[in-house]
Amino acid sequence: MNRTKKTKGIPGKYVFFSFTVIPVVLYTFFYVVSVINGVKYSFTNWDGMSQEYDFVGFKNYIQLLKNPNFWNSMKTTLNYSIRLVAGVILTSLLLAVSLNSLKRFRTLLKSVFFVPAMIGGVTIALIWDQLFYRMVPLIGQALGIERLSQSLMMTGKTALPAVVFVQTWQAVAMPTVIFIAGLQQIPDEQYESAKIDGATAFQRFRYITMPWLLPTVTVNLVLTVKQGFTSFDYPYALTGGGPVRATEVIGILIYNDAFKNLRFSAANAEACILFVMVAVFSLTQLKLTSKGGADG
Amino acid sequence: MRVKSDAAVWKFFRNILIACGLALILFPLYLVVINSFKSLEEAGRNFFALPSTLRPDNFNELFTNSNYWVFLRNSLKITVISVALILLLVPSVSYAVARNFERKYYKTIYFYLLMGLFIPSQVIMLPVTKMMTRLNLLNHEGLIVLYAAFSLTQGVFLFVNYIRGLPYEIEESAQIDGCGVFQTYVRIVLPLVKPMISTLLIMDTLWIWNDFMLPLLILNRTKNIWTLPLFQYNFKTEYSFNYTLAFSAYLLAMLPMLIIYCLGQKYIIKGLTAGSVKG
Repeated sequence: MNRTKKTKGIPGKYVFFSFTVIPVVLYTFFYVVSVINGVKYSFTNWDGMSQEYDFVGFKNYIQLLKNPNFWNSMKTTLNYSIRLVAGVILTSLLLAVSLNSLKRFRTLLKSVFFVPAMIGGVTIALIWDQLFYRMVPLIGQALGIERLSQSLMMTGKTALPAVVFVQTWQAVAMPTVIFIAGLQQIPDEQYESAKIDGATAFQRFRYITMPWLLPTVTVNLVLTVKQGFTSFDYPYALTGGGPVRATEVIGILIYNDAFKNLRFSAANAEACILFVMVAVFSLTQLKLTSKGGADG
Repeated sequence: MRVKSDAAVWKFFRNILIACGLALILFPLYLVVINSFKSLEEAGRNFFALPSTLRPDNFNELFTNSNYWVFLRNSLKITVISVALILLLVPSVSYAVARNFERKYYKTIYFYLLMGLFIPSQVIMLPVTKMMTRLNLLNHEGLIVLYAAFSLTQGVFLFVNYIRGLPYEIEESAQIDGCGVFQTYVRIVLPLVKPMISTLLIMDTLWIWNDFMLPLLILNRTKNIWTLPLFQYNFKTEYSFNYTLAFSAYLLAMLPMLIIYCLGQKYIIKGLTAGSVKG
């Protein structure tokens, strides 16, 4: 059994063990200890600055459940995620099917549609911020649409869809390419024989493409749902949560409470609730599919 | 007959869809590029037209007055060192785990590292900031260590599955020939996992280069240690009135990645897709 018996030098099992030491230490110290600290802080009354603090049990959690801002944020997060998932999945699916059916320029166009994945969230958010501010009112004036006469970020009703739109602009790139990879696994013969049987384009999509694509849909769903739940860069750079908390998703609420409102321990409690949400979601997804996405 | 007209209708809508999509992707980028060459006054006159001259004033301003080179160097330094560290750690620990999976210790490590898949970054964001403050690590070194620690979960997940799918015979014959574990790893295993290494390289480079949240938490206090994304964000508050200058800054921040993308788009797309669909 001992494979390394005959070799000279350091025995293999020590080499293997040494490979694990630094990663395990780093991960434990910076990641696991942080998570434990976060959970610990959520049971205290620490404001994040003072030298001393006390344990207060579930007080932060109980107060959160009574806090309308927290519920507003949960609702906003859900609203945000649903819009993002629907927008991203539908758009990327349509785009993938369209691009995949092209005979010419397919590779070139795929590369162009992937460009947003190269650009950072903040850059994209800031660019669109300017465009919403400079371009959209011009379009509104030209078309005589009252609602577009000011930046969409200014009013509560339009801010959330606008932020979702900007994140969608980038988030579509990856699922599109993953869908295309999924589409290319479908054998051509299936389409050929369906055509001979007289199936319409829609029927072919419904009865051949969709069933084959189902695992890919799962991967993309998981990827996008997590992006929605944990969205931060886009709302932070575009609106900072405003106007009047209209775009205050949970990531923003946590950040603002911890660093701006001096509600550090309450912010940790919010983070723990997000943790439970994501964990439940991930476990369900693991249960439902053996083949999962690998999104961190 | 019906099938044929169906196909024609589909083709028509498909082409319209692709054209709209292209416009939606390229038009904002076009506006950024053209307006970065304009003066404020010229952009105010016509936001959509091509610039009358290729006026480099905005770029000169950024190069001379804004520390752009410092931020570029910071971003480069952090990305290169973090990714190098990740590429040093992830394949080796994954190799150890993958080839000793029947042992309790290694199996435990695997699931221990995988726990991170369930933990959203917002949970770490507050306690890690406090910890780094206490350790006096609100600097580049601290950020690099965090990237190395936070990349382990996904990296190990991808690599362990990949290595376990590789045939064991090659390593075995190398060991019969007298190679130790370390030699086998360097000479046999590393060349075999090259595709995964490029996936990890691309994924983590893109993540770290474009990351905003961790630099915001760790580096925001001292201006000369900012990365490019922080610079852009803070630019918004500093120069909000001068938006053509802002566009030039955004363009300069995007450019390095876009150039790399142009050179190796095929590999980048392939690598990133492999990373998210599991090797």
